[in-house]
Amino acid sequence: MKVTVKLIGPLVYAAGFSEKKVRLPASASAKELLSRIGLKKNRPTIVTRSGKSLAPADALKDGDRVVIAPIYSGG
Amino acid sequence: MKGWTGHILRVNLTNKSFKKESFSEEFAKTWIGGRGFAVKILYDELKPGIDPLGPENKLVVALGPISGIPAPNTGKAVVAAKSPLTGFYGDGNLGTRISEQLRKAGYDAMIVEGKAERPTMLYIEDDKVEFLSADEVWGQGTYATNDWIYKKYGRGVGVLNIGQGGENLVRYAVIRSLEGRSGGRPGMGAVMGSKLLKAIVVKGTQPLPSADPKAMKELGLGDLKKVGAMDKKTGWSIQGTTGILAWCNEVAALPVRNFRKTSHGDAWNIDGERVNAARVATYGCPTCTMRCGITIHDKEGRESELDYENVGLLGSNLEIFELAQVASLNYLCDDYGLDTMSAGCVLSFYADAIERGAAAGDFKFGDAARAKELLRMAALREGKLGNLLADGSLRMAREFGHGSEAYAMQVKGLEVAAYNCKFIPGQALAFGVSPIGAHHREAWIIAFEIKHTTRESYGPEKAAKVIELQRIRGGMFETLVGCRFPWIELGWPLDNYPKYFNAATGLDWTLDDMYKAGDRIYALIKLHYLREFPAATRKDDYPPAVWFDPSNADAEGPIAGRCLEADKYDKLLQHYYDQRGFDERGIPTKELLNKLGLSKEAAAAEKYAKLSERAGQPQAAK
Repeated sequence: MKVTVKLIGPLVYAAGFSEKKVRLPASASAKELLSRIGLKKNRPTIVTRSGKSLAPADALKDGDRVVIAPIYSGG
Repeated sequence: MKGWTGHILRVNLTNKSFKKESFSEEFAKTWIGGRGFAVKILYDELKPGIDPLGPENKLVVALGPISGIPAPNTGKAVVAAKSPLTGFYGDGNLGTRISEQLRKAGYDAMIVEGKAERPTMLYIEDDKVEFLSADEVWGQGTYATNDWIYKKYGRGVGVLNIGQGGENLVRYAVIRSLEGRSGGRPGMGAVMGSKLLKAIVVKGTQPLPSADPKAMKELGLGDLKKVGAMDKKTGWSIQGTTGILAWCNEVAALPVRNFRKTSHGDAWNIDGERVNAARVATYGCPTCTMRCGITIHDKEGRESELDYENVGLLGSNLEIFELAQVASLNYLCDDYGLDTMSAGCVLSFYADAIERGAAAGDFKFGDAARAKELLRMAALREGKLGNLLADGSLRMAREFGHGSEAYAMQVKGLEVAAYNCKFIPGQALAFGVSPIGAHHREAWIIAFEIKHTTRESYGPEKAAKVIELQRIRGGMFETLVGCRFPWIELGWPLDNYPKYFNAATGLDWTLDDMYKAGDRIYALIKLHYLREFPAATRKDDYPPAVWFDPSNADAEGPIAGRCLEADKYDKLLQHYYDQRGFDERGIPTKELLNKLGLSKEAAAAEKYAKLSERAGQPQAAK
């Protein structure tokens, strides 16, 4: 399956891309996606799909748009 | 008493006099500084009902025991007065060298009273205060005024100044400093303008007060370096605050079209990636190693310093997605000395009102050229329309009628910051109960709501989180006085701040001591409100009505068909009141006030309105 990954803020520079499609095995989890894109864990992140938080074990679906952001605090 | 200078400078513009006054150790320990000093001074010295733009109002500039010391992000000052926008206590903070210079001159705060006969600049150097003519720069913007001051005194002095917005009493005029710093959203710039006070310049020559200067320096400088290293490691300041725009767009929290929509397909044009790519300079406050003032060239080629709030409210909220044009609107606000957030909400409300048929006019969403003209008209109060725009969205709504108040994006008169809470109940509560109106500074819990609870929840955990953050953000940081960014954005541990405070004062305080002082300050701001509005009700703590309107729900996207629910919001509000010890009007009870050591202040408030003895026993207004 393919999911779209959107990175936010400094994660763009850490991973070297802003948005891209990633091919994953069917029912892969959010955790597997994170390891696939090689994002270094140098700060906590919030992972969302359709505006709701995803836990590491949550299964992804084909066509998902997954947003990974630092945990902002609203300035 | 160590860590404080122990003195306040009182300046009277009417008779050009000044006085160096002492304050007690008890006052210092009760109110700490900054916002705490300002709230207490204005409560004791302002009579309720005075005209905020009259000579009876007083402007307080207040610092705290860590202001200006070499430690992470201490280069800030609090400015406060009775607000011409909201009609009660208002304040704000801004980065300025005043934080260091005023304390080196021997003062922890200054109070400006009266009204000058002619446009005036105050020059303060230690025990000397000069009342100088500002005729030469009256009518000029903040950039020209700042340059004029720097030419006279050099760049090392502390400066506060206003632009045409403050001079013309625009109710959301701010005070400005340095290259791009603004503070005092609820019209503190207009209060300066009402006094014909164009600028305050301060130079101090004495050492900063500190219990142990050597230890303080070692601790503070070492930590400054550590915070700088954390910023580099995380990359936070690459996009600074503008990084959050893309996230808000993804999770349906972005203000679009006067907050009617929560995301937009063109928002990427003005996001943090584009801002960083367009960067031509970076500015920051004194003693800061995570400088957030990303500066780009605007449409006219001028340098404009951006942050998220102004891109959100002057960009997506107006459906203007050309970054250089957004920067132009931001530049104009900064030069006129207008609050970018209120200005953005005022313009979006005007376009919305025209669309609804509630107001006449030719301004449409997306029209950057007309938006520039309207900002000028507001700043100069040109004609009927300029005067209307200059008074803020709540007064405009009352003028327009036709149910317009529901679409004025404000709470208690202060416009909402750039977070669309159409379906974010906890942040809607944070705006509702922010003690000075809808400011994001007091509490911001959107990430908590999405990650640690659910968006749908109206439970007590959200009220608890709002209170926790109010104590830290609106309480501790505003009194010490320092910037919250190292903690909120980088995770710099909070317990460092009592360490700085203790090193400066020689005391042995904990975070809980700081929070108690914060609770005292929030309670006293509520008493300010009650004295001015004795008929206060819990409805005053509601966010804009349009967020509760199902017909305004998003048609598509993550929160399609959802909006806030009034009965559930009211229960969330009650959770907040219960946890705070407030009555059903949202006013502190006598029981709480006594516990916080505010029995005298409570008695003073009861001259204007009854207080409840304890929670669950609301009293009708007199």
